Amino acid sequence: MTQTRRGADAANPLADFMITSEPYFRPVGREIELYEAAYKARMPIMLKGPTGCGKTRFVEHMAWRLGKPLITVSCHEDMTASDLVGRYLLDAGGTVWHDGPLTLAVRYGAICYLDEIVEARQDTTVVIHSLTDDRRILPLEKKNEVVRAHPDFQVVISYNPGYQSVLKDLKESTKQRFGAIAFSYPSSNVEAEIVMREAGVDRRVADTLVRIAERSRNLRGQGLEEGASTRMLVNAGLLVAGGIPIEEASQVAMVVPITDDPDLREALTGAIAACI
Amino acid sequence: MTGLKTEFPADWHDRWREAHQRIDHAGYGELVASAYRKCGPVLAGRVGPDFAVRLGRTVSTVAIKSGRRAALVLIEAAWEISGLATDSAQTRSWLDAVDSVARQAPDALSAMLSNTTRIVRELGFDGFQTFVRMGLALSLDDRGRRRAFFALESGEARQALEYRSGSQSLSEKIPQLKHYYTALWGFSPPVAAAPADAPEPMRRRAGFGGGGIRLPVAFAGFTDTDQKALYRAALAHIGAHHRYSREKFAAKGLKPLQIALVSLIEDARVERLATAAMPGLQSLWGRFHIARAEGAPIAINLMARLSRALNDPSYSDSHGWVEKGCSLFSEAMSTDITDQLLSRRIGGLLGNDLGQMRLQFDAKTYVVQPAYRDDNLALWDFGEEQENAIEIEAMAEGARIDKRDEADGRREEGAGEEEKAGKLSEARPDEGVIVARYHEYDYVTGSLRPNWCTVREVSGKLASEKSLAALRDSRSDVVERITALINASRVSRQERTRRQPEGEFLDTDAAISAMIAFRNGEAPDTRIYGRYERRSRDMSVLVLIDASYSTNDLVREGGKSVLSTEKLAGAFLARAMAGLGDPFAMAAFCSDTREDVRYLRIKDFQSPFNDYSLARLAGLEGALSTRLGAVIRHAGQEIAGQSTYRRLVLVITDGEPSDVDVEDKRFLVEDARAAVHELNREGIDVFGVLLDSEAESYASRIFGKRNSVLIGSAEKLPEALPLIYLRLAR
Repeated sequence: MTQTRRGADAANPLADFMITSEPYFRPVGREIELYEAAYKARMPIMLKGPTGCGKTRFVEHMAWRLGKPLITVSCHEDMTASDLVGRYLLDAGGTVWHDGPLTLAVRYGAICYLDEIVEARQDTTVVIHSLTDDRRILPLEKKNEVVRAHPDFQVVISYNPGYQSVLKDLKESTKQRFGAIAFSYPSSNVEAEIVMREAGVDRRVADTLVRIAERSRNLRGQGLEEGASTRMLVNAGLLVAGGIPIEEASQVAMVVPITDDPDLREALTGAIAACI
Repeated sequence: MTGLKTEFPADWHDRWREAHQRIDHAGYGELVASAYRKCGPVLAGRVGPDFAVRLGRTVSTVAIKSGRRAALVLIEAAWEISGLATDSAQTRSWLDAVDSVARQAPDALSAMLSNTTRIVRELGFDGFQTFVRMGLALSLDDRGRRRAFFALESGEARQALEYRSGSQSLSEKIPQLKHYYTALWGFSPPVAAAPADAPEPMRRRAGFGGGGIRLPVAFAGFTDTDQKALYRAALAHIGAHHRYSREKFAAKGLKPLQIALVSLIEDARVERLATAAMPGLQSLWGRFHIARAEGAPIAINLMARLSRALNDPSYSDSHGWVEKGCSLFSEAMSTDITDQLLSRRIGGLLGNDLGQMRLQFDAKTYVVQPAYRDDNLALWDFGEEQENAIEIEAMAEGARIDKRDEADGRREEGAGEEEKAGKLSEARPDEGVIVARYHEYDYVTGSLRPNWCTVREVSGKLASEKSLAALRDSRSDVVERITALINASRVSRQERTRRQPEGEFLDTDAAISAMIAFRNGEAPDTRIYGRYERRSRDMSVLVLIDASYSTNDLVREGGKSVLSTEKLAGAFLARAMAGLGDPFAMAAFCSDTREDVRYLRIKDFQSPFNDYSLARLAGLEGALSTRLGAVIRHAGQEIAGQSTYRRLVLVITDGEPSDVDVEDKRFLVEDARAAVHELNREGIDVFGVLLDSEAESYASRIFGKRNSVLIGSAEKLPEALPLIYLRLAR
């Protein structure tokens, strides 16, 4: 969002990944101090928390604060180790090695953020093992090269405990390499502040939206996997700021996306009416 | 004989004469005879001569079975019905239904006839037939209940009427209302309809207490849309009590009027508090405050006006008493709104004032206004005379007979997971816990009977160590074969495999790296294809074991009883699946009428398969009947929560559904078939494993030819299994 793109600079291949303006982040606890201390030690960090509570925003904010480039990789099931590390590609002259995002970060010193790491297969995630202990190296087997990590390099992963299942969990050996910072939805006052700031709505609208979110979070585990996240609230706020009545905005941003069960929808609709 | 010429076609004259003469001379009295003579031509004109003539036969049947009065009522009813019917098939079906009631339940006929127009109006002629069949099937030997049903006095009848008349019945709304309550208040107490035999006031207003919430089946005099809002308003209001009414008031020494007024103020207080948190509730409640500043100054009128004044700031009322109530209230609000005692104080004062005004208040007929408010019984501590508190017959949802591990590996009976709000009224252990009600399919009318079957979860007997060991240790070679069979089966979503020597698509990554190797002068890897295949087994299985009386029959081969074969087959399957780590559950079932369908958990999906489950399996005894449909529906609910690729309900049975309260053999077969189809629509497969016995088998009708297999003994199970898994690997 706040990342601006300039032409890639040969001298500084990470220029594109610098964050130039401050991403808004409202600290709830001591997460900034914790992160700074962890970064000083280059300790790998795991951000845990429900979807849409600000994990990604936090990393962006910290990268900006520390003045380091940030390389984000959204993990998915089909991702292979070479998607992270890099591969040989063909061009007119023959074969060329292309660094993957992880190698790029290791070589030139960036914070590498692996978003939703549990989505990737476990055999893919083990490539970070040699980077997350005291070796701090990345062997590139195909190229017969060992990349030693740049002093600025750090790994950050995010992780949603709500999705945990036998199939989608981190290996114990992966988990144990990380320090973890837990995130949750902020208290209603702080959340309203965030919605006001991010969506540009007034206090009254923000308060109402937060009340609605609390209602939907009450249904967590009672039919809903997750209640409405802060991100959804901001979305609803943006719709309201765009002239949509709050009831409709809540439907569009906070009810219809999260459930297809007609009973739950009805119940949520009623709960929204109760909050306005 | 007026109208004879015009109303009856010439070729019907003789038949009509014959019909009414038979009635004339049968000795049912002149009243009946003349009514029939007068009515006949009119009916013939309205719906055709055959109806008029045919009515004669029914009049005879009714007069003989239920008496002359009933015959007279019949003729009147026929008159009204003829105005509603649009074709002769409808009137014919109506007469058939009357005939069957006259023959099977003559004592209930008059009641049914006097309600017939109402029922037909609400349900239509097809619905009427279903209704009559429901009434007759109700309970074969409980006449009082049947009569109450046809007189529309029982809860079941009312439910059937509401269910049919298009609007959603309360039981259908409850899941949604529960979510609504949870969303608002953050916890979920059980919610149930007020029992049909509860006293009148409790059937008119919502209430709470005993950890649950009771809702009236309907709010009389409100439209469908209003009903929905009323239920929501009632739940929002009760939630406000749960949250903000911390203690019960002591009723001792207070007059009924004072109790009503303290309740009224407390209602307003909790609503005020709730509105502060959720402002939208104000308008939800406000729309039902319709009292106006006019009308006779009687107590209930003034109370309704005060309620409105306290709810609605824009409402003004100049009555001194109402004004006083408002000012007392707002004064107290501004000091400390959370002080529950203020309600007691203000209510008491206002009660004294009303008393001095000498206004009438009849506590017996008083119902709380507006309609969404609860009856406030739960707010009060009546001391010794606690007779008012009736127990809520709530379904023990999510509650189950649970076992906890003891140190020695054996487990002990324990109460189920109770909802946070408090304990449900628990049934005695031998009766089991009511866990669900299901509809049943009536094939004759092609319609559903709502909430017809009650499923209870019961705890079974545990078998002795010896019989247990027999199941545990027997024939491990069969178990091994089953394990190998299941292990070899592939039931899962298709996955993309890469780097294959052959396949249906080109694996681009592999192709590129082959090309690179080629150019680098290395030997390329030729596995450059990919294909889609099922690689794993992603399936959960729920095994249902028939434990009805007929399973005591012998299996044709080997001379063992069906039940012991079932146990053995169950044990084989369970041992194999437990060894493989496949998610599976096991339960047994039997039934004793529609009100007592028993479901016995042997193993849950979450729990391990151990000696305890085996002991329960070995302890099964064949008793009672088989109401297969309800059990299949319950199993469907059970397995619906599994998130595997395929879900299979495997029914091991002798294939003959029956129950003591159903005479028609086909009825339960068709219901079970309907239940199987319902599950299929949910994406759940139902498969029948039939044991070849003396019992008549309807398996292929119920499960479909392709979805049932017949085996002669448990050892033959391995031969049947590949069939099942093959079908699922589609």
